[in-house]
Amino acid sequence: MQFGIFTVGDVTTDPTTGATPSEAERIRATVTIAKKAEEVELDIFATGEHHNPPFVPSSPTTLLGYIAAQTERLLLSTSTTLITTNDPVKIAEDFSVLQHLSGGRVDVMLGRGNTGPVYPWFGQDIRAAIPLTVEHYGLLRRLWREEVVDWSGKYRTPLQGFTLAPQPLDGVPPFVWHGSIRTPEVAELAAYHGDGFFANHIFWPPSHTKRMVQLYRQRFEHYGHGSAEQAIVGLGGQVFMRPNSQDAVAEFRPYFDNAPVYGHGPSLEDFMAQTPLTVGSPQQVIDRTLSFREYAGDYQRQLFLVDHAGLPLKTVLEQLDLLGEEVVPVLRKEFRVGRPVHVPDAPTHESLVQAANTEDGEEGVHNTPKEQQP
Amino acid sequence: MTKLAVISGGLREPSSTRLLADRIVAAVESALAQKAMAATSAVVELRPLGHAIIDTMLTGFANSELESAFETVADADGVIAVTPAFNASFSGLFKSFFDVLPAESLSEMPVLIAATGGTERHSLVLEHALRPMFSYLHAIVAPTGVYAATEDFGAQHGSVGLTERISKAAADFARLLQACGPRARRDVFTEELTEMEQLLAGATGPGNEDGNVED
Repeated sequence: MQFGIFTVGDVTTDPTTGATPSEAERIRATVTIAKKAEEVELDIFATGEHHNPPFVPSSPTTLLGYIAAQTERLLLSTSTTLITTNDPVKIAEDFSVLQHLSGGRVDVMLGRGNTGPVYPWFGQDIRAAIPLTVEHYGLLRRLWREEVVDWSGKYRTPLQGFTLAPQPLDGVPPFVWHGSIRTPEVAELAAYHGDGFFANHIFWPPSHTKRMVQLYRQRFEHYGHGSAEQAIVGLGGQVFMRPNSQDAVAEFRPYFDNAPVYGHGPSLEDFMAQTPLTVGSPQQVIDRTLSFREYAGDYQRQLFLVDHAGLPLKTVLEQLDLLGEEVVPVLRKEFRVGRPVHVPDAPTHESLVQAANTEDGEEGVHNTPKEQQP
Repeated sequence: MTKLAVISGGLREPSSTRLLADRIVAAVESALAQKAMAATSAVVELRPLGHAIIDTMLTGFANSELESAFETVADADGVIAVTPAFNASFSGLFKSFFDVLPAESLSEMPVLIAATGGTERHSLVLEHALRPMFSYLHAIVAPTGVYAATEDFGAQHGSVGLTERISKAAADFARLLQACGPRARRDVFTEELTEMEQLLAGATGPGNEDGNVED
């Protein structure tokens, strides 16, 4: 099982000091946080993508490429890459280059984006978000799998004789996750293609996540990618820890109360009861996280949000120390207990290369990645 | 069995809005009984849900109490919605409940609209505020609503008039409920899923190599 962090990339005033980082400070802090994630032996760093203030990650592969150069092991991902407003050709190019630069330490989580005004900035319309997603993703898959692509669709100029350069590393595209906050369409899309399904798991109650994950698992099986238990599931999560749980609650409360998205709403206690947010001791985080398996099944990826709402960098780094030293080692061990052998790990570049080599020996296997160009 | 959901936006205890709601429910049940139609009713009081309604606006999800209220409404065969008139419209709390009610909860739902107010001069709140909102939500709004002013609850002659108006509205609503019959709930979750399934089958399924999306 993989553990990591995902960031929204918000520039938010620290409500306890009134200090607001500059965009430069926030971007530098993000790099520091990603490097720290590797240092404390987490597996993944994922960045969001936003095209409006107060967010800074508008160019995720630039950020991830910079981080790739300063890390050795860390898997770089996104949360999410906008499949609607980005040109699929550019996504294919950017992530192919990132694959080559990082030695295959990259996968991608696709999302629609729910900020209406962003769509027209990129020549699109949020009302067509779903058919746009289906068309763009259909093209992206072909760009990563076919050497020469002839394509025409409704939302992009046609392609005649287009060849992606560079081709995916080792002829294997990055593994794709589909990130979902609310809608069943995303679960269906992920299941249809046999891709991973990532439930945001921050903004909604566990009952909702349970329904979505169950749906994805059923449909994954329906489309013939394996049994429901073998579907590739990721979950978000949100934690704040101190050795003493009362200290964690007292320290996090002003950040919670003023947080973008849900601040000035329910109390911290209500929100903790209604969503997977866990504020307390490392042991409480361990217990809560292990309970996710009760409704999501044996899953493959757990990402935590730790750096939002104006939390200062120093605090975030302390959170990563606690995650890396006290929480994740226990989670790794405990999640292995009782995990059926037929439940796979999340695909990595290495495992996909191995699978592709195996498939190359078989005739007519669907979706076999094309041979790399000589 | 006809399931009635009664939404009362009254704020005080006792509330004239709830009082009107109760009288309407009794009259509707009586009118249904004359048609040999049995009915049950469940009341959704908005005041205790006030914080939850605003929290839902801020977070995007409802707590379990509000979810339960949503379920009561969506599962009903008919809705009786009663609000106090504030500033020439429904109360903000009343509107807010419908702002967070999941989409399509009221589609094809027979609805009887009613309101209370300080004076009868606000009675067009039914026609200018409630009816358009419920029409927008694709409800089937009964032609006769009930408006009750403070005077209706006081003066003798006023009470008699209100009783008649309630009886008339209840009889109309009972006929509407009878005509509509048991309501088939829309399942938006499954609808979205089916649409996506069809979209995927058409767009990227085997045999369609060019990846076109049908217009």
